[in-house]
Amino acid sequence: MNPYESHPARILEVKDLTPREKLFTLRFLDEKLNEEFTFRPGQFVIVDVPGFGEFPISLCSSPTRSPIQLCIRKAGRMTKFIHGMKEGSVVGIRGPYGNGFPMEDMEGSNLILVAGGLGMAPLRSVLWYALDTGKYEHVWLFYGTKAYEEVLFRDEVLHLLKHGSAMNCTVKLAYEIESPSCIYLEQGFSDRVCRGVVTDLFRGENFDVENSYALICGPPIMYRFVIRELLNRKLSPGRIYMTLERRMRCGVGKCGHCVVGTSVSMKYICKDGPVFTYWDALSTRGLI
Amino acid sequence: MRYVKLPSGNFEDFFNSLKGIGQIYGPVKEGKTHHFRRVEEAGQMDLKYTRTMLPPKKFFVRPRERLFSLEDGWWRKEGDGKPFVLFGVHSCDVHALKILDRVYLSEPVDPYYARRRKSAFIVGISCLPDELCFCKSLGTHFAMDGFDLFLHELPDGWLVRIGSVRGHEVVWENARLFDEVSDEDIANFKAFEERRAEAFKRELRSEGLADTLDLAYNSPVWKEYAEKCLACGNCNLVCPTCRCYEVCDRWVDAYRAVRERRYDSCFMESHGLVAGGHNFRPTRLDRFRHRYYCKSYFDPSAGFNCVGCGRCDEFCPAGIEHVKVLDEIRGSLE
Ligand SMILES: Cc1cc2nc3c(=O)[nH]c(=O)nc-3n(C[C@H](O)[C@H](O)[C@H](O)COP(=O)(O)OP(=O)(O)OC[C@H]3O[C@@H](n4cnc5c(N)ncnc54)[C@H](O)[C@@H]3O)c2cc1C
Ligand code: SF4
Ligand code: SF4
Ligand code: FES
Repeated sequence: MNPYESHPARILEVKDLTPREKLFTLRFLDEKLNEEFTFRPGQFVIVDVPGFGEFPISLCSSPTRSPIQLCIRKAGRMTKFIHGMKEGSVVGIRGPYGNGFPMEDMEGSNLILVAGGLGMAPLRSVLWYALDTGKYEHVWLFYGTKAYEEVLFRDEVLHLLKHGSAMNCTVKLAYEIESPSCIYLEQGFSDRVCRGVVTDLFRGENFDVENSYALICGPPIMYRFVIRELLNRKLSPGRIYMTLERRMRCGVGKCGHCVVGTSVSMKYICKDGPVFTYWDALSTRGLI
Repeated sequence: MRYVKLPSGNFEDFFNSLKGIGQIYGPVKEGKTHHFRRVEEAGQMDLKYTRTMLPPKKFFVRPRERLFSLEDGWWRKEGDGKPFVLFGVHSCDVHALKILDRVYLSEPVDPYYARRRKSAFIVGISCLPDELCFCKSLGTHFAMDGFDLFLHELPDGWLVRIGSVRGHEVVWENARLFDEVSDEDIANFKAFEERRAEAFKRELRSEGLADTLDLAYNSPVWKEYAEKCLACGNCNLVCPTCRCYEVCDRWVDAYRAVRERRYDSCFMESHGLVAGGHNFRPTRLDRFRHRYYCKSYFDPSAGFNCVGCGRCDEFCPAGIEHVKVLDEIRGSLE
């Protein structure tokens, strides 16, 4: 077995989510692999475009559904290249990598998902997993974006905004830049849509902190503010999960790029993470 | 451990017998420094060396290595596995290979590394420290495993410790070259080791080092040194336990591409750079401190990530000394 070897997968569908992000639906050429491939929400794969390079991307679909989906932002050289690829093209996929969220441990509890921008991608996997399995008490999704036009999986989010309560799911949306669409939304859902940042969505919410877990994903700057909000409500640092990003090459703990920490605690984001608790962050410098 | 004696007069025959395994690489002096090079005759080697510039890691984690080549639109695996002999490896370097093993042979196993590791026959050799060596402080001045044969210098030959089945087989096949170990040899071995233990001039105070360094995160000493450091990455290249690599796809011609990996250095600004220009270790201070934390990381089951070989000191153009940095950081807390 060569862990650096990727498996060819066909792009079944490419869908524009926003001007910057596209949703890729993929299927391995090897049928056996399609059957066997499973993962945990929060895990990621390495996408391989032979001749151009590799990059890590979170699985944004749920293991309860197939085929797999990746939400890719055009961020640089390689992601730009894959944005130009069409349905029917073949890329490589290796993984899944990383620890993912401990979904089993959290069964029976409330999940508070806090997403900022592209952070919605891995949390969508958790969201669908939770709703599909029905093993969780109540699911909140607090989603902060720049603008309405940047809301990822807009149809799904709007659907849950309208019909979520039937599935024990509360969706709340915060946007920073005003546009006609959000004013319209805000009128319809004044209790759940507001102009502001993601932490504004916590206002008026009371969680049973003994029976809740928070799962956070967003830009580095967001963690500090969200965590402060959660700690104010006395959520234990061990119940706050976050998924982190670093430069990655190998994905399997060899190349050294994703290493953080100091002489007492060093972590590989790729294999010890990318999901960490806030306690991990307190005991490992440089994690957030 | 099994011990035999190799009399001086049989050394060359022993060396030649190893050619049956494969190409032999040993320490060769070029100018002022030593390098592991292909050797055809025992006489080409300088066995009284202190350290080579590049450590033996270069045979296992290659400075540049081809992982795959692109053929007919998909990857074909690359990699070689010809048996070879690494002659004259010091005990600190044997320990360093064990540190690399823990990374590269842990699941999932790196097949390129594993293949070469299996192909290598390692002959260790005893040494005397110079003013830069501090392996004794780290317990890496003596190797208990990680070699096939280990030669300890005696006045009239070598005391050979046999560290593996393959080592045993080689001794067995060449039984005529070896003698039983005499009481006198044992006394000489003991005397050499004692003399050697006393010869260390440099010492790293390792008690509580990991916590002390963590507590000294904001020490101004880091900043002083980061300003001296040229960020050249030499210390990473020569360190026997540094192993970061970068991967890139390269087109050989219009039809063929290869995927290669090569040494990377945490002193390079690109090491922590991600898309959109965000850098997780933006300043030289961040990067300097990171290297020291990485080298002084203490794994309860394995010890530190530094074996005290002194290479980073010898080859640092800014004259930065590893132990001195750590002592000063420690001192800044006192
Ligand atoms: C665990 C994990 C999950 C991720 N999930 C997603 C996701 O779901 N959707 C998404 O759009 N993006 C995700 N990213 C970020 C994505 O990997 C980068 O946007 C991508 O690597 C950028 O590559 P590029 O060549 O287009 O950018 P460039 O800026 O041209 O890249 C420069 C170099 O840096 C490397 N690099 C840049 N950013 C990163 C990064 N963040 N991580 C690792 N290497 C990087 C690239 O491989 C490239 O070689 C994730 C990153 C990580 C670590
Ligand atoms: S840090 Fe310096 S002394 Fe320690 S193993 Fe690396 S090169 Fe040798
Ligand atoms: S060799 Fe010296 S100058 Fe160069 S990066 Fe290392 S510490 Fe800095
Ligand atoms: S990505 Fe290579 S060590 Fe984590």
